Amino acid sequence: MNRRTPLTPYLFIFPSAAIFLLFIVWPALQGFYQSLFRRGVIVRNDIPALAAEFVGLGNFRQLLHDERFLAVLGRTIVYTSVTVPLVVLVALGLALLLRDTFPGVGIVRAIVYWPSMVSLIIVGISWKWILGFESGVANYLMTQLGLAKVPWLLDPTIALATVVLVSVWATAGFFMVIFIAGLNAIPDVYYESATIDGCGSLQLFRHITAPLLKPTTVLVVILATINAFKVFEQVIVLTDGGPGRATVFMVQNIYEEAFRHPFGVGYASAQSVVFFFIMLLFAFVQFRMTRGGEA
Amino acid sequence: MRSPLRTVKAMGVLVAVAIFLVPVLWVVLSAFKPGSELATYPPRILPVHWTLANFSDGFRFGNFARYFLNSGFVAVTSTVLSVVISTMAGFAFAKFRFPGRDVIFFAMLATLMISLQVILIPMFLTLKQLGLINSLWGIIIPPAATPTGIFLMRQYMMTIPDELLEAARIDGATNLQIFARIMIPLSVPVISTLTIFSFVWRWNDFLWPFLVINDDRLQTVQLALANFVGQYAVKWGSLLAMTTLSMLPMLVIFLIFQRYFLRGISTTGLKA
Repeated sequence: MNRRTPLTPYLFIFPSAAIFLLFIVWPALQGFYQSLFRRGVIVRNDIPALAAEFVGLGNFRQLLHDERFLAVLGRTIVYTSVTVPLVVLVALGLALLLRDTFPGVGIVRAIVYWPSMVSLIIVGISWKWILGFESGVANYLMTQLGLAKVPWLLDPTIALATVVLVSVWATAGFFMVIFIAGLNAIPDVYYESATIDGCGSLQLFRHITAPLLKPTTVLVVILATINAFKVFEQVIVLTDGGPGRATVFMVQNIYEEAFRHPFGVGYASAQSVVFFFIMLLFAFVQFRMTRGGEA
Repeated sequence: MRSPLRTVKAMGVLVAVAIFLVPVLWVVLSAFKPGSELATYPPRILPVHWTLANFSDGFRFGNFARYFLNSGFVAVTSTVLSVVISTMAGFAFAKFRFPGRDVIFFAMLATLMISLQVILIPMFLTLKQLGLINSLWGIIIPPAATPTGIFLMRQYMMTIPDELLEAARIDGATNLQIFARIMIPLSVPVISTLTIFSFVWRWNDFLWPFLVINDDRLQTVQLALANFVGQYAVKWGSLLAMTTLSMLPMLVIFLIFQRYFLRGISTTGLKA
């Protein structure tokens, strides 16, 4: 609509564009570049920088045989494939429960949403306090019920399960809100006419709610998947990756590779590139499926 | 609705309330218990002797006044910056036609795919080259430009009629005047949405300070809390007190702007 001053819109975009270029595009390119070198730039001040050696795709070849990395990747995939269905089911259940209007429903929704309002650090601290082996209130309740104390954060397998449950607790409210919006978008007339035709509650869910909620469900599944793959903060607080390395996931592994192993920058960057392509795959799937779901 | 289903639903609501409320209450109540009661077995629900000692300890030994100040400064500054530049970009994308507009817009949206987690190490190198490591500006400036913010602004501003801008232009208004006197006042609903969400994001942020801040005095609350847990002998009393205190700003925002969150950012932003 404006023909006189062609420079103006560029000036208005400039601050955002500059930040994107400097802090997203440039680091992303640098990440690809670094992944082709052994040693790379040394990130710590106390260790002198050494000349980088170009290794091409050597870092990636090494990754294919790196049991430590493959274990982390596998663990992150397992974590994601357990957490996502669980959080989607819980969020959907909560949405079906709390979409009705009854006295106090607003307060209940607020309570369920609250964990999404606070940081994952706070979520982690809260559960670490509750799940302490000797003096945590959870194990006190277990003994009151005549059960044995559970090593929530001390046993490798149980700690992994604990991280899953805490993550579900932390994010279910957020996804519930999306599901409620999706449910409310389904016109009431569909339910009314189906009820007149003699459909019961289960049939209503199967034939009206489920198909019409599909686009929302796809969105939630993708968001939850991306979210789960980036799991980091709650783990740092709950277990710091332990016991042993039982709960080390992608982000923590990349960080430790670069900062704790003095020559790991190139190798960590290669892991980041792998990570990037996995996220890109998710984004691609999201793009295709949401387009298909809504069209 | 038949009554058995109703009973099941009522039970479900009660269970949900218990699962989501009790852990939070337990943490908050524990923050008010003296050290002896935190270690008491069996534990009691309510503190027998309510105390604020955990809070004062957090401030005296934990330097938390400083951390709260840092967090407040970062959250406010970054939010202001974010809202200003997103509003500017939104205006350009919504109300101007210029070469490259759609390409630039979609390129910006595409950066949603590159989250900090994915470029952690090169981001550190970049910030180091720019001298932003161990500086609060290192956690204020880079996250200020968000595709979400620009998208919300653009979508909202597109609903403002072009005729208003044309009329102003005929009256001799410059683009800057149009931006300041027409676009901003008419975009208050979406600006407040972005302000609230941005403040919450920045206040709760951990990964940026974790990457950028090494200096003890520059820690934000979230970073300090995480480091507090990492110590060998966790001082649970003051840790829980500071945890409780750090939830307070979020509680105030949540109580005032609840509907923004419970409707979801996309719907609030686009339909407000």
